[in-house]
Amino acid sequence: MSEAYLLSRKRLPDWIKSLAEIYTVLGPVPLRRGQTVFEPIASADLLNPNYCSTMLSPRLFIYPGCQKLFTVNRSTGQYVTADPRTQRPQLIFAIHPCDMHAISVLDRTFLAKYEDYYYRKRRDDTVTIVLNCNKACDSGFCDSMGTGPFLRLKQGFDVALTAREKDFIAEPASENGERLIGGRDFFERATAADLGEKEEIEQRAKRSFTKHLDTDGLPQLLMRHLDHTVYRRTADSRCLGCTNCTMVCPTCYCYNVQDRTGYDLMTTTRQRYWDSCQELHFAQVHGGNFRSSREARMRQFVTHKLATWVEQYGCFGCIGCGRCMTWCPTGIDLTEMAKEIQRDAAEK
Amino acid sequence: MPPKNENQNPLEPQTAIIEQHVEETDDIFSLYVRPQINDFNFRPGQFAMIGLPGYGEAPFSFSVIDPRSRMLVQTIRKAGTVVDALSALHSGGQVSFRGPFGNGWPLEKLDGKNVIVIAGGIGMAPLRPVIHHLIENRSRFGEIYLFYGVKTIEDLLFSDDLEKWSASIHVLLSADEVRQNCRLPVRQGLVTVLFDQLLEPLSDAVTFTCGPQIMMKFAAAHLILQGQAATDIYVSLERRMKCGIAQCGHCQIGAKYVCMDGPVFCLPDIQRFADTFL
Ligand code: SF4
Ligand code: FES
Repeated sequence: MSEAYLLSRKRLPDWIKSLAEIYTVLGPVPLRRGQTVFEPIASADLLNPNYCSTMLSPRLFIYPGCQKLFTVNRSTGQYVTADPRTQRPQLIFAIHPCDMHAISVLDRTFLAKYEDYYYRKRRDDTVTIVLNCNKACDSGFCDSMGTGPFLRLKQGFDVALTAREKDFIAEPASENGERLIGGRDFFERATAADLGEKEEIEQRAKRSFTKHLDTDGLPQLLMRHLDHTVYRRTADSRCLGCTNCTMVCPTCYCYNVQDRTGYDLMTTTRQRYWDSCQELHFAQVHGGNFRSSREARMRQFVTHKLATWVEQYGCFGCIGCGRCMTWCPTGIDLTEMAKEIQRDAAEK
Repeated sequence: MPPKNENQNPLEPQTAIIEQHVEETDDIFSLYVRPQINDFNFRPGQFAMIGLPGYGEAPFSFSVIDPRSRMLVQTIRKAGTVVDALSALHSGGQVSFRGPFGNGWPLEKLDGKNVIVIAGGIGMAPLRPVIHHLIENRSRFGEIYLFYGVKTIEDLLFSDDLEKWSASIHVLLSADEVRQNCRLPVRQGLVTVLFDQLLEPLSDAVTFTCGPQIMMKFAAAHLILQGQAATDIYVSLERRMKCGIAQCGHCQIGAKYVCMDGPVFCLPDIQRFADTFL
């Protein structure tokens, strides 16, 4: 799959149109008030390939915020498993490398020793076309986290695109990806020179970052300083407990489960919805709460993303998209907390 | 290990039939259930997610595992919505059942050792099958101690068993309040008041403990002071659980999922994380 192709910008609408014949194409659409949102698009007219970041990552197309698991007939006891699939297979167009990486991080939770039935079906049913970032976005530090600005995954997605002034370089990474490009006359073969230019664009993109985090030895450092005062100071003075950070985080997987019984008492539906370790109830058991302080919940978020995730899954839980700090009403920034701990350790 | 659910969807439960409902104490009851699964493979210390559609599920460990009659007993403290619904069920009733989950007690570590079992309150339930194992294979172990602490004498679980067990192992009981007589000797105080009964040295002992976090913390500290290696102490932890399969995140402690990596942990392996209260 080392083949690379070129698609001229003029022909992008043709490609989208042909993809939309098979898939529900979900692409970045600029909406009112400057917010770009992933929405179904039938044509390229609305598409904004230069978007910076979206509030919610495309994780919600594979792992929706609320999902039906099954219904039970209360008189027969019969279970009917909910079908998690959408009516048509979906295609996520122009997902950024960090967000694609985030999906591969979620894979490690949901497709592990136990396989989540619902996640698996949606994941298999979703085509992903990545668009590399030619410059750093506002609060992104994906370069530091090893998840961008150009895709570093080798598999788990279908096509990677790199935008140039007049065209896109398209590199398929799966059979599906080959199929989406192959046989379509608007693609041409890319040359070694094109790929050389891609390399240059990537280097330029890497240089455009202003935000960095030194991740070398970071997990060990954070685990050595679990009682650092930065958690309490930040939590008590600024955290509102709104859970925005975890709702917008593209790798957060935690969920809660809820049963709903119809008013006729005939059927019960079990569903799950995104939950957050920043909620007070999250670690509540009868007679106690293992994270009753805001400080403890703040430490859970920071150390999970930047430390314990590595022990659990062999990768960071932070992909450097910057959403948690962007959507935090008081701008709490986990990299600042990590850096403070790094500075204090260096001074000692 | 693939999920035990035959339907490949680990979140969708099987059915289990209730054979018996026994009131153990004022606020603790036991449900004898027979899960409708082909592969009856449960280990002491593991748990199942048991519930009722409409009320949800909660994790329950097994106080008896009987492969011959394919029966499990869950001994449950009355607390919470799911339990309220379960406590109203009697023989012939049905519950939803997923499991087994978790690692269970590392019984193999006990062979050839002195064994210390420390239970607090409802924490006796998941340790009961451990005692069964110890007594059935009595000759494989050295001295065996069961330290069991409760609030009042009325809270003692399985008192018939305790009497029987005391024929082959040291059964030592404590209660915060001792107001009336009991068939077995009970000392007043926390479970640690019984530790003077231990024959030293402890270097050749392995400890299993389950109970209130604070009890386990002090019991472990006590034993370590008396010379037991922290790595020979195993604790069984309780956390909020929604999935049992390391995905809902609720039971996480640091890098560990209590539902999958636990609920039994070697003490230093879990103590290194935040929010353990150990
Ligand atoms: S524990 Fe918190 S930070 Fe970790 S995945 Fe769950 S919600 Fe996200
Ligand atoms: S119970 Fe859901 S992760 Fe452990």
